[in-house]
Amino acid sequence: MAEKKKAVIVGGGTSKFGVRQAHLLDMVQEAMKACSDDIPALKPTDIDGLIIATTMAGRHSSALNTAPLVVHRLGLSPTAICIRLDTLCAGSNSAIIVAKGLVESGMAEAILVTGAEKVYMPQRWETNYTQLMVNDHDWDSAMGLGVPPPFFAMIAKMHMKRYGTTKEQMAAVSVTNYTYGEGHTKGHFAGRSLTIEGALEARIIADPFGLYDCCPLSDGASAAIIASEEKAKELTDRPPVYVRGTGQHASHSMSAGWPGETLAEWTHLKVAAEVAFKNARLTPKDIDVAQTHDCFTISEIIELEELGFCKKGEGGDFVASGAIEIDGEIPTNTDGGLLVYGHPFGASGARQSLEICKQLQGRAIHQVKDAAFGLAHNLSGTCAQHTVVIYGKEPVD
Amino acid sequence: MADLEKVDIIGTPALDGTYIAEMDMWPFECQEFNRIYPFYENLRAGKFTTTKCQKCGHIAYPPGVICPKCWSDELEWVELPQKARIVTFTETQAGAPIGFPSPIIMAWLNFGEGAPLKHLLARIINCKEGELKDGDEVKFVVFDVPSHPIEVKKETKICDRVYYAFEPVK
Repeated sequence: MAEKKKAVIVGGGTSKFGVRQAHLLDMVQEAMKACSDDIPALKPTDIDGLIIATTMAGRHSSALNTAPLVVHRLGLSPTAICIRLDTLCAGSNSAIIVAKGLVESGMAEAILVTGAEKVYMPQRWETNYTQLMVNDHDWDSAMGLGVPPPFFAMIAKMHMKRYGTTKEQMAAVSVTNYTYGEGHTKGHFAGRSLTIEGALEARIIADPFGLYDCCPLSDGASAAIIASEEKAKELTDRPPVYVRGTGQHASHSMSAGWPGETLAEWTHLKVAAEVAFKNARLTPKDIDVAQTHDCFTISEIIELEELGFCKKGEGGDFVASGAIEIDGEIPTNTDGGLLVYGHPFGASGARQSLEICKQLQGRAIHQVKDAAFGLAHNLSGTCAQHTVVIYGKEPVD
Repeated sequence: MADLEKVDIIGTPALDGTYIAEMDMWPFECQEFNRIYPFYENLRAGKFTTTKCQKCGHIAYPPGVICPKCWSDELEWVELPQKARIVTFTETQAGAPIGFPSPIIMAWLNFGEGAPLKHLLARIINCKEGELKDGDEVKFVVFDVPSHPIEVKKETKICDRVYYAFEPVK
């Protein structure tokens, strides 16, 4: 049997994220252009696999079988795999898990992982309406549970009650992420800044969340290349960034069967993280930079706890202490994260993984000094599923 | 919500009554489209039910066609408790999905020690904003929701529907 290959993330790019005057496939082309600019040697014929991660393509762009459309617009001719993949907010990191397996097994040499969403519709109400379809429709959506803020607001209230987390601590997450958003001109809220006072005085979305506790919904696309180590050396002189370990776990659909003792304990994330760390042969202490799914400020706080970066219940103090800042214990969401860069569901995972790629190659806009290991995490659905991907400058073996 | 609760509404109110199934926010409750239709028939009788495995005894929620613990398909319908207490709740001011009133109230419920369904996320109705507090008792309540048409050969049959939520015990 041939020796197992090593999968690396080569580079990539994103379209502009935001409320876009563009079709889904326009934005995929913009992301491909950014990816091509990032890896100038990359040619359409280098790519032997395509995975397009999208949730809304079917309803919002009338493009259910999206992969052939992407192949056509991008001039690709993949022969190993050509699929649409949907795990909602984790779509393109899920695609990276699949791509890792295909590259390591020798079935593909260079896979384009792309994620894209056209969220905004000619009438805004339809976007919220579609969100009713991303849960357990007959059981949760019919209850009106579908739009995320109320659900995560309950989680925040529970975390505040059990662990004493405060609105000021939650505001520290958004303020830090706005600091990181500076310079990321393709971000949804590019060019904006935020103070603690500004965050605390914002209008209420769902108590205890103000506007800046919630990430925006965004139109946008991302593209990244996952290739074998050998292929990557043909494409770029940059140091390889290995996909070391992954974990993905879902334990329930939503309304019933929450796995934690309360909504403040995300035991399903803990499981996904343990699997990813085991596969990557690393521990949380080894990680130099993280991208966690900050759909809400409270999400980032709980994720830092469940991923093992701080003790359970201490996430609020942890973020307020500066631990997530550039010179802190675990700089987190160093490109602004979902809160500032924006959140086109299927595109977010690859956007996170690209930031980790750049950090480990030493070329991030807000560079973490000597970053050698990085982690990307998505939650998806209404906290139904968790996806963890760990990267390193050194391979596992 | 009041105008939605009339049984004479057919289809999707936002579409002036035109019925497009993929725009339907309620389940297909009828036997023609759902093997767990007894759940909805039981709702009409005011019962909150689910499936229990006759092999291993596991009570699942939502109800299913096989047992998620042992994959047996020998299931029976059993009743669930109708009263629960609020663990935490939210009154959402912005962005309620179309068809739902704003603010929409949702809660994480605890059915008590030993209950087959320990926790559930559910909507609270018949309750004003500001009335609810943690620890309050709520009870199961059934209400009418819009009907939908089904083509049966050349005829069109109307499927009447109900749904459930919880309301404060006063």
